Amino acid sequence: MRAYVALVWTIARKDLLLEFRTYERLTAMGAFVVLIGVLFNFSIDTAVVQPQAIAAALIWMTIIFGGMLGMGRTFSLEEQDGALTGILQSPLPLDALYLGKVLANFVLMSVMVVLVFIVFLAFFKLRFSGSVVTLVGVLAFGVLGFVALTTFFSAMATRSSMGESLLPVLVFPLLVPVLRFGATATDRLFAGRPVAEVSGDLRMLAAFAIIFTVACAWLFRFVIEE
Amino acid sequence: MSFGLEAVGLVRSFGGLRAVDGVSFQLEPGELLTVFGPNGAGKTTLLRMLGGVMRPDSGQVRVAGALADVASRDWRHRVGIVSHQSLLYGQLTTTENLQFYGRLFGLTDLKIRIPERLESMGLSDRARTPVRELSRGLKQRVALARALLHDPEVVLLDEPYTGLDPHASAVLREQLSSLKDGRRTVVLVTHNLKQGLELADRVAIQVQGRFSSVTDAASLDLAGLEVLYHDAVENPA
Repeated sequence: MRAYVALVWTIARKDLLLEFRTYERLTAMGAFVVLIGVLFNFSIDTAVVQPQAIAAALIWMTIIFGGMLGMGRTFSLEEQDGALTGILQSPLPLDALYLGKVLANFVLMSVMVVLVFIVFLAFFKLRFSGSVVTLVGVLAFGVLGFVALTTFFSAMATRSSMGESLLPVLVFPLLVPVLRFGATATDRLFAGRPVAEVSGDLRMLAAFAIIFTVACAWLFRFVIEE
Repeated sequence: MSFGLEAVGLVRSFGGLRAVDGVSFQLEPGELLTVFGPNGAGKTTLLRMLGGVMRPDSGQVRVAGALADVASRDWRHRVGIVSHQSLLYGQLTTTENLQFYGRLFGLTDLKIRIPERLESMGLSDRARTPVRELSRGLKQRVALARALLHDPEVVLLDEPYTGLDPHASAVLREQLSSLKDGRRTVVLVTHNLKQGLELADRVAIQVQGRFSSVTDAASLDLAGLEVLYHDAVENPA
């Protein structure tokens, strides 16, 4: 088990090292988040619509669209000089490759989510009066579910002649539960409702994240093997 | 007695095209087989199946007598692969690339093993250089160091001379010749008849997915190989 965890970390560490040398994906995701914040700021008439009332939906849509920019390039790191061949030839279990990618993507997405909150709190002067710990739980499970699916389908898209353009088509329909339960729970927490009102949503997000991570890890070899 | 590397009836198709069509051979430990063939003959596909990177539609690969099944990961430490692509990460240094692959192969003595391997390849002064800053020749030497890091018994070389200038080719050739230590089984795929013949114990010509001939290299000179090659390409079986 310890050796397996070490292999997962080897993949994640390498991906994070490459990202923090180039900032390719973080730059794309970060620029998108800031631009979306600016555009929403100009497009929402605050005399008619209270940003507080729609903040959760805007935040989750930004997380999903911004995240898609970075997650779509998960396997392009391996394609540049055939590195995926070297990995596939090694004794690394393919589910460990998948979980390592998920871990690295989860870290990158977490950085982006922090930026999303900074931008939205700054532009819309949102007030948050709910449980911060519960909000972190909602975001963590929501992002894990998102990353589990996008990492899996990114591998599939890499193998397809349609490439990254295929990813949204494959992933968006499956992300409905993340958006539904994530936005609802976040909305209620922004409104200062008791934690008991979001525990059902949190459990659904956790179940979604765990089921999809396990299922995708198991199915991964069928999409990555030639 | 078990062979170093054995292929039995390997077949792989893409759509309606049979890229590899019933290839079989057996190599003793220490033997080097060079596979020649025109573009599109299925040489790279063959090598990817031998390395467990690609699943054959039918047929088997055996490494040191053990079935080398694509679904299994256990036998892979016995095989090293060098491609015309470096299989390296340009943003990582030479040492970081070797550390990464060393960990994938479960090696625990990397602090000793990596400097030794770099020294044997003449790369000690490039240990901290990002791979993207290396010349094509140096990059290919790092690729060879990567493939040999876990000391594999079977080495698969896919067009290792591609893109190298004559000097870099000569340096790489010296390093490839050191693979002929009587212990490793090597399959070399190349277009270059001269370079391929120099190192070979046996020579195969692959045309339209099939081995049209497998010959002892000792019985061939370059002129003889050229005749054999052109005959095989022009009159495929």
